[in-house]
Amino acid sequence: MVEMISPGCQRGIPGNVEMPLGVERLPNGNTLIADGGDEAGFGSEIVEVDPLGNIVWNYHKGLRFAHSGRRLRNGNTLITDTTNNRLVELTPDKKMVMSSDHWSGGTGELSDGSHLHYPNEAFEMEDGTFLLTDRNNDRCIQVNREGKILWSFGGKELHRPHNANPLQNGNILISDSDGNRILEVNRRQEVVWSYGDGPTQTLWWPRGAIRLENGNTVITDSKSHRIIEVSPAGKVLWRFQTEHVDKFYITHATKEDTFLIACTDGHHQVIEVDRAGSIVWLFRNYRRPAPIYARLTNGFFKEIGDNGWPKHWVLATRLSEGGGSVVWDQDHKPNPCPGLEYDRSGALFLQQSLAVTPGVTYLVGAEIRTINVKGTACLHLDFFDSHEGSLYHAITEIPSGNLFTGTNDWIHDLFEAKVPSRATLAELRLYINDSGKVFIRNVMMNRI
Amino acid sequence: MPMDKEISEKRKRQCLKLVEISKDIVRQAFDQFRKEELGITWTGGKDSSLTLWIIRQVCQEKGILLPKTMIIGEGDEFEEIDQFVEKMRKEWSVPLEVCRNEDVLKAANYTLNALIKVKDLNERNRAELQRIGFEAEEFLFEAESYAGNHLMKTVVFNEFLHRHKIKGIFQGLRWDEHPARFDDPYFEHKEGSDLSPEHTRIRPILHFTEKDLWDTYAAFQIPYCVLYKKGYRSLGAKTTSLISVEGFPAWKQDLENTEERAGRRQDKEKAMKEMRRLGYM
Repeated sequence: MVEMISPGCQRGIPGNVEMPLGVERLPNGNTLIADGGDEAGFGSEIVEVDPLGNIVWNYHKGLRFAHSGRRLRNGNTLITDTTNNRLVELTPDKKMVMSSDHWSGGTGELSDGSHLHYPNEAFEMEDGTFLLTDRNNDRCIQVNREGKILWSFGGKELHRPHNANPLQNGNILISDSDGNRILEVNRRQEVVWSYGDGPTQTLWWPRGAIRLENGNTVITDSKSHRIIEVSPAGKVLWRFQTEHVDKFYITHATKEDTFLIACTDGHHQVIEVDRAGSIVWLFRNYRRPAPIYARLTNGFFKEIGDNGWPKHWVLATRLSEGGGSVVWDQDHKPNPCPGLEYDRSGALFLQQSLAVTPGVTYLVGAEIRTINVKGTACLHLDFFDSHEGSLYHAITEIPSGNLFTGTNDWIHDLFEAKVPSRATLAELRLYINDSGKVFIRNVMMNRI
Repeated sequence: MPMDKEISEKRKRQCLKLVEISKDIVRQAFDQFRKEELGITWTGGKDSSLTLWIIRQVCQEKGILLPKTMIIGEGDEFEEIDQFVEKMRKEWSVPLEVCRNEDVLKAANYTLNALIKVKDLNERNRAELQRIGFEAEEFLFEAESYAGNHLMKTVVFNEFLHRHKIKGIFQGLRWDEHPARFDDPYFEHKEGSDLSPEHTRIRPILHFTEKDLWDTYAAFQIPYCVLYKKGYRSLGAKTTSLISVEGFPAWKQDLENTEERAGRRQDKEKAMKEMRRLGYM
């Protein structure tokens, strides 16, 4: 008997902002938000909302995990369509007037023969060219509308960067995210200023940095769920930090000296905070697509959904960078069992959402089989608060079973997890990163 | 056998303090429940044996016999544990009941890794499998399986509580054994359900670290199973418990920096460190 606590909703409803990433305040007072979409890869769009929260413009056609939408001087919107590895420009009436897919005779290649790989930010520069952050190529590049590279910075200096933005002094400010630091680079590719040098207490996966008129830098310190303002001498002058783990993505300073912050897998909203730490505006219209079940359902995979996924389970491809699929071992007895097949860095999950009670301990168990897993495969039980905010800073903190690698025949995997006091929701996930296959069968989860 | 471990007077006093805290928990349990309503779980392992020793001390103070004690016969025991349990049962006059899920053992023909058909089990066992969401028609008789664990341990435990109308049951759990346990309380009340009676779980040694435990064994010359001297750090079912460091007694191993239960499963901490280094997580 299938018992749902909440039914979820249709995926990809235009206007439903699931994961705010890029955010900027427009001269007209509206806010432009890039929505990365839901966990199954649906619903990514660029949304313009007015101060009362009405959606006045949005674009979603074909976007997959878009990380930024910026309004250009000519009134068009420039979008980094991240999982599609492309840059597109749309007119106000939603006509596409530029797409990086058309570069180099339709190959999408840039002038150096490379292809965009996980572009996550694009700004218009003074001369009308674009500054693009090309994350998985560990670089930021200045390109024209034909894909000609006019300048670039990266190589050994950058590690999965975000949010490279042009400064008034002609330099570029970049978040060297995996390096836990911010760099200011001049046109001669010299690092002229930096903040953070590795330890996570200073910066922990920063994904945005902006220069204020007063010369200070406001950094979005994601895993520390805070934004900090630092002086040129590197002193922290001001901070805004939530108690809950809300991995802020980027911050935009408004001309009223408030800060717009995109709250990604925290509370799925955009907040505007003032210097006193008060939230003076907020936009949240998130409707959760996946249902929440009262107890683990179809853990023995006897039912298959119309989409080829096990029924009541979701294939979460948001972080899978365009790859990965559900596979079935059809020869398995007494009924076929599912698995995940993956082939790149990034992460792929097969998951189910469950209602949980704080303080209760659950025993989770399944049998796992792996084939040539180069990275890691495991079971996670991830917990969320009532706003569907994550409770963990890093994936290594999430309660999990054993970590499997290589090839293993069926192994019993059991682990206990205690529900944190603020949690109302859990996601039970089969996880894999890097290449390989992992199969699962006989999943159970019970209070102990 | 005496442990070859030097314990300073200062350390002995610290261990005594830890024991006193445990004894206070035990005394509170005896204040809260009548002796007939109490029970003890024992495995022959280091944690439950220390707990039993502490409870025995309080009983001796009070001039009463030990409460009913249960040990689970899961069908995959070390002979050395059986021998140790039998020896201590006599020495300490432990009112011991060996509890087994006879129905499951019979269906498996008392053979490890045998295939058990659910329809061959009794009504109680079938109801239990349904309750945990087990939907297959058969399973292998293995110690570390979810279904096996549930029928051989949890069900047997609940039946013991029900049969003797136990209201308070002592367990030898420690905070540092498992991340999910780190804020478990000394007394935890469990609501009753159709298959599990209402009861309170009492854990007198929660505050002992693994090192505290071994130092206490050495300080007071408490008996322990010889397997720990051979290098086992944690003892579960025979087929799934592995020696942590061959020939190296448990108390001499690097207790603080390595995982206690590593010998029972893949070494997770090491795997996590490696994954972090490779940047996969």
